[in-house]
Amino acid sequence: MNMVAAFSIPIDGSIVGLYLIATMVAGIMVRKYVGKVEHFLMAGREMNVYLGIASLAATEFGIVTCMSQAQNGYAYGFAGSTPGICQAVAMMLIGLTGFCIKPLRDSGVTTIPEMFEKRFGPRIRWAAGVVIVLGGLLNMGMFLRMGGDFLVNIVGYSAANADPSAGPAMQFITTHALELTMTVLLLAVAVYTILGGMLSVLVTDFLQFVVMSVGLIAVTVLILVNVGWDKLVTTVDTKYGSGAFNPFANPLLGWSYVLFQILLNTAATLTWQTTIQRLLASKDTRTGRRIFTGTSFFFVCRFLIPGLWGMAALAMLAPSDVGDKTLLAMPKFLATVVPVGLMGLLVAAMLAADMSTDSSYMLTWGSVIYNDILAPFRKNRPPVSEKRGILYNRLIVALIGVFLLIYGLWYEMKGNLWDYLTITGTIYLASMSVLLVACCYWKRANNWGAAAAIVVGAIIPVAFLVLEKNWMVTNAAKKEVSWLSENGITSAIAGLAAFGCAIAAMIVGSLLKPKSASPSAAEPAA
Amino acid sequence: MEHWMKYFLDHPFWFTLTAACLVWYSTITVYVAIRGVFDIRGMLKRLQADAPDANEDAAG
Repeated sequence: MNMVAAFSIPIDGSIVGLYLIATMVAGIMVRKYVGKVEHFLMAGREMNVYLGIASLAATEFGIVTCMSQAQNGYAYGFAGSTPGICQAVAMMLIGLTGFCIKPLRDSGVTTIPEMFEKRFGPRIRWAAGVVIVLGGLLNMGMFLRMGGDFLVNIVGYSAANADPSAGPAMQFITTHALELTMTVLLLAVAVYTILGGMLSVLVTDFLQFVVMSVGLIAVTVLILVNVGWDKLVTTVDTKYGSGAFNPFANPLLGWSYVLFQILLNTAATLTWQTTIQRLLASKDTRTGRRIFTGTSFFFVCRFLIPGLWGMAALAMLAPSDVGDKTLLAMPKFLATVVPVGLMGLLVAAMLAADMSTDSSYMLTWGSVIYNDILAPFRKNRPPVSEKRGILYNRLIVALIGVFLLIYGLWYEMKGNLWDYLTITGTIYLASMSVLLVACCYWKRANNWGAAAAIVVGAIIPVAFLVLEKNWMVTNAAKKEVSWLSENGITSAIAGLAAFGCAIAAMIVGSLLKPKSASPSAAEPAA
Repeated sequence: MEHWMKYFLDHPFWFTLTAACLVWYSTITVYVAIRGVFDIRGMLKRLQADAPDANEDAAG
């Protein structure tokens, strides 16, 4: 297959440039409405339903999602989209019933740890903040890198394509394309996020939702017309058999994977900070719940559409074009099939997807650092002025940006990207979801149980991450592999263990504490 | 028409889900795009009214 990208600088470059200018102008213009810390972090809790749906959808679809789900489509066929169905069902049920999210929004807090303080005390709030930031930043660590990898591959400006006869400037660009793309992407996002906070994020999210949606639909239709549904189905059927359509029949997925995805996606719906920040920024509880139900089906699209792109790459690219870098199969395929003009729209759409995700994630982890980790250190000091509070938040967002750049360039991604995202997310999802449910609905829950759940819920996934990367053995095929995967301990098994142990730790810890010693006598929030 | 029926009958679940994604996404984008503009205008209006006084400067 011809592997030359169709990106035209005058045509596609103009479309991308126009999108970037519109986003930056909109993002920077609304900064004048930011007068308080609450405006910066929560947009003054003035968000309504449709802006909420656009913002949540744009935030939760980044290049990292697109790449990971395309990799799942390439490796597992349609069965790779199972997590999207799990999350859509969880969003719909939680939105309809108000399970946990009603008491959470009614409490008027800014972050989840703030709610835990009311029930479990300030130390649990601080510890919850630490694991949320640890899991969140490790999870987000790959975002910028994936954005860079996608854009470099789809535009075709990579070190591998460097033209020795080109001028020194062009040679520098092609040799350092990844680093330059990551830096430009980060700077563009950081400027409006630092200046306008949540307000800029919401307004740019809205624009990005529209651009991203148009691009996603156009490219999917193009793929279905050019490759054909029949070819997609036949390819995955030939390659993976019934396992391509049924996750339970797929030897690489199975019951443990599906069960872990159900738990993980329910926990993410309840406690993933970017999702919850939309609930907390909504103007009332009813609006927050409507945002959940209104966005629920989007989560099927979020997984299935890039999955189709990955399956199309499997159908159209020769295995030698992909090698063992299955993560890059989808952008390589798109580079060859998307024509000039639509390529500009695709790049703009993917930039939109990535910028909305990065800005929201930087702001949301920043809000936890400011509110829950640093707040105790300010307790015995004079109150911080609104201006200084906004300045601190801006600095934190900037530092998170620097972390993303360094981590993205340094960390070497091995194996399946979605597995990495789920296990890093589990570091806090396992314990925070257990704490939230207990906080809302279990009278006996107390700080002993909460502390035990936080520790156990974080240790298991962190240990898995460290051991998987460092405990290597040589298998029968003389290949160096992880001891864990060689012995059937997958990320799904580790994730299930984290959830199970966090539940057990909450129950045992809470029951072990004598009733008279409880400092957290508050009734459940529900 | 016949081949679409065949695609549906071969894998009804995934075929329906894919079609639903395309239909849902294309319709909801237009709807949310229109209603979202009004949401943004309303939000900015309310925030302007909530602008802090020069004297009111303290936060937790």
